[in-house]
Amino acid sequence: MRYLMMSKDSGDSTPDEKLFADMAAFVEELSAAGVLLATGGLGPDGIRVSSKGDEITVTDGPFAEAKEAVAGFALVEVRSKEEAIELTRRFRKIVGDGESVIQQVFGP
Amino acid sequence: MTDVRRAVDAVFKLEAARLVAGLTRLVRDVGLAEELAQDALVAAMEQWPGSGVPDNPGAWLMAVAKRRAVDHIRRAETLDRKRAELAREVREEDAAQDKDDVLRLMFLSCHPVLPTPARVALTLRLLGGLTAAEIARAFLVTEAVITRRIAEAKRALAEVPFDLPEPDAMAARLSSVLEAVYLIFNEGYSATSGDDLQRPALCQEALRLGRLLAELAPQESEVHGLVALMEIQASRTAARTGPDGEPVQLHEQNRGRWDRLLIHRGFTAMLRARQIGGPPGPYVLQAAIAVCHAQARSADDTDWPRIAALYAALVRVLPTAVVRLNQAVAVGMAHGPEAGLALTDAISLPDYHLLPAVRGDLLLRLGRETQARLEFERAANLTTNAAERAFLLRRADAIVPTPTTRTLGQACADFLAREDLGPSTIRSYAQTLRRLCRSLGDNKPLDATTATDIATVFNSTWDKAAPKTWNRHLSAVRTFAKWSSLDSLDGELERRPETSEPAKPAPLQGIWELPDVPLREQTLWRLLHESEAKVTTVLAINIEHLDLADRRARVRGTWVTWRSGTAALLPALVADRPSGPLFLSDRRPGPARTPSPDDLCPHTGRRRLSYERAEYLFKQATRALDPDGYTLRGLRTG
Repeated sequence: MRYLMMSKDSGDSTPDEKLFADMAAFVEELSAAGVLLATGGLGPDGIRVSSKGDEITVTDGPFAEAKEAVAGFALVEVRSKEEAIELTRRFRKIVGDGESVIQQVFGP
Repeated sequence: MTDVRRAVDAVFKLEAARLVAGLTRLVRDVGLAEELAQDALVAAMEQWPGSGVPDNPGAWLMAVAKRRAVDHIRRAETLDRKRAELAREVREEDAAQDKDDVLRLMFLSCHPVLPTPARVALTLRLLGGLTAAEIARAFLVTEAVITRRIAEAKRALAEVPFDLPEPDAMAARLSSVLEAVYLIFNEGYSATSGDDLQRPALCQEALRLGRLLAELAPQESEVHGLVALMEIQASRTAARTGPDGEPVQLHEQNRGRWDRLLIHRGFTAMLRARQIGGPPGPYVLQAAIAVCHAQARSADDTDWPRIAALYAALVRVLPTAVVRLNQAVAVGMAHGPEAGLALTDAISLPDYHLLPAVRGDLLLRLGRETQARLEFERAANLTTNAAERAFLLRRADAIVPTPTTRTLGQACADFLAREDLGPSTIRSYAQTLRRLCRSLGDNKPLDATTATDIATVFNSTWDKAAPKTWNRHLSAVRTFAKWSSLDSLDGELERRPETSEPAKPAPLQGIWELPDVPLREQTLWRLLHESEAKVTTVLAINIEHLDLADRRARVRGTWVTWRSGTAALLPALVADRPSGPLFLSDRRPGPARTPSPDDLCPHTGRRRLSYERAEYLFKQATRALDPDGYTLRGLRTG
């Protein structure tokens, strides 16, 4: 099963070299284990496209407080929900304060 | 399992490979290492629910296992120098992971001394961290079977060194590992038995093992080939079963449901394999075939000639019957079903359901429905997978054996070739059927020939014919219709009554007064009128039958009598002929037409006057009285 892990940027700590190194090792380990399918960071300025009736509205971001915005994602393939939680736990240990949301992905 | 136990189990599975690998290096016995890892798991189950999962669970588990290892070695009855040394080493040596440990563990659990099922079970156990119960469930065997399999495997491996293979043994050892991984994948991908067509968990384990192996042995192109193959095959998981779990064949799959992410990973793995270079091995070739399919936007876009060429290369490195069967499929698509079918003829796979299934496909494309149906039924009987059997039976049932489209011409030819009909019957039938074929076309499909078609031909051809002729043609069609099982062919036609209408009475006075009537006609007409005998009877009279005195003749067992009119004419007609037909034609017969001696005049060599000729002459002569003329029979009633 697949889970998408979306992490918000706490915004109050600047990443140091150790964090980069730890993250790189973590990503490498998960890739090697065949768990990490895709990962990436998200730009702060989103574009909102909304629809109402026949009308489509396009609005430039940003829309939320920096710490509310999703800053990165990881798509993982795991055996169980518990495994997804464990991986997220490890991720949070590395990046420090903040919040991640994991949701199961269905399809394609 | 409680939530906490599930969490511990998830962590253990993540750590199992490294844990067992590191421990095996330390204690030099994979069986012992596995037991120690289980001990550590039990400890975690006891402690983590209270204390929470430690920050570095892998290190925690390793520390516990190492302690147990030292205890174990000390407990051994004879603590000789060697064991003491080992205990010290275990205690002191840094368990820091050497990534080659996991690779060593893979080679060990797929060691050639083990039978294949043991390799598969052990690999799932040691590298995937699966319990015996989980493995048993995946392979639909009892837990006891797996437990025994693993125990035997561990014993067999007790003396095997925990090393990477020597370079010259590398290829063989690696192929043993790849085989086990692909076997796990296939067991999940095309479950060989049971009601589920796929057991996704096994596919996922195999993919993880493959991806892991690719990181551990990145210089081996076959490893990347296997990963590419599995990624691309797994990308079709959602599309390859229908709503009721039935298999959907590759060319019918909704390609929109293919997992592009996995396809992309497969392509990437394929690129890595190509970068390494060297002659392509079986997995790289199979992956290249999978890539071809993945690249085709639709089934019709599939580059079958390229796939057939790749199979030709694959058959050279992996000449198994299954590969040759797949080659036959590709060749069938690239170069036509005939070529594919020819390849399947040489394949011997007695109990493999896909052979008859493939043959069924090819035969169907060749229009050989009956044989195709038999092959699909055979395939259904051979498979143990319920969904696949249902699918094959549906394919068999979908074939409605259409009778080979026979043409009217063929059917008529076959009908006329019957040996149970006499030659004259055949001749008569042939007349009718040839006419039908000429009017309707030899190539008209027999089953498209309708009663209306037949009626149209009859009405345009024989409507004016005598009822007897009409009925003769009709009975020919009826016999033919019955023979060809098209009973309704004569449905719009009816027999005509043969009792002919009374002939139009001839106006006798006018006839007797017709000028320039030859003696023969005068005599014949008078005789017909006075005797009221049948025309054929009168024409059959021979001179020797005549009894001029009594004005009668004995012919064909009946008496013909006449009166004065005939009596006045007869002597002149007979003249000095002593015998032979009374009424003679004007001419001698041509050399090609030899009448029977009875119809020939022995004195003049002329033949008996025929009914047709006599009728014709009468009709011509009486046209002076009526534009239609009269018939000889009219003389009898006139």
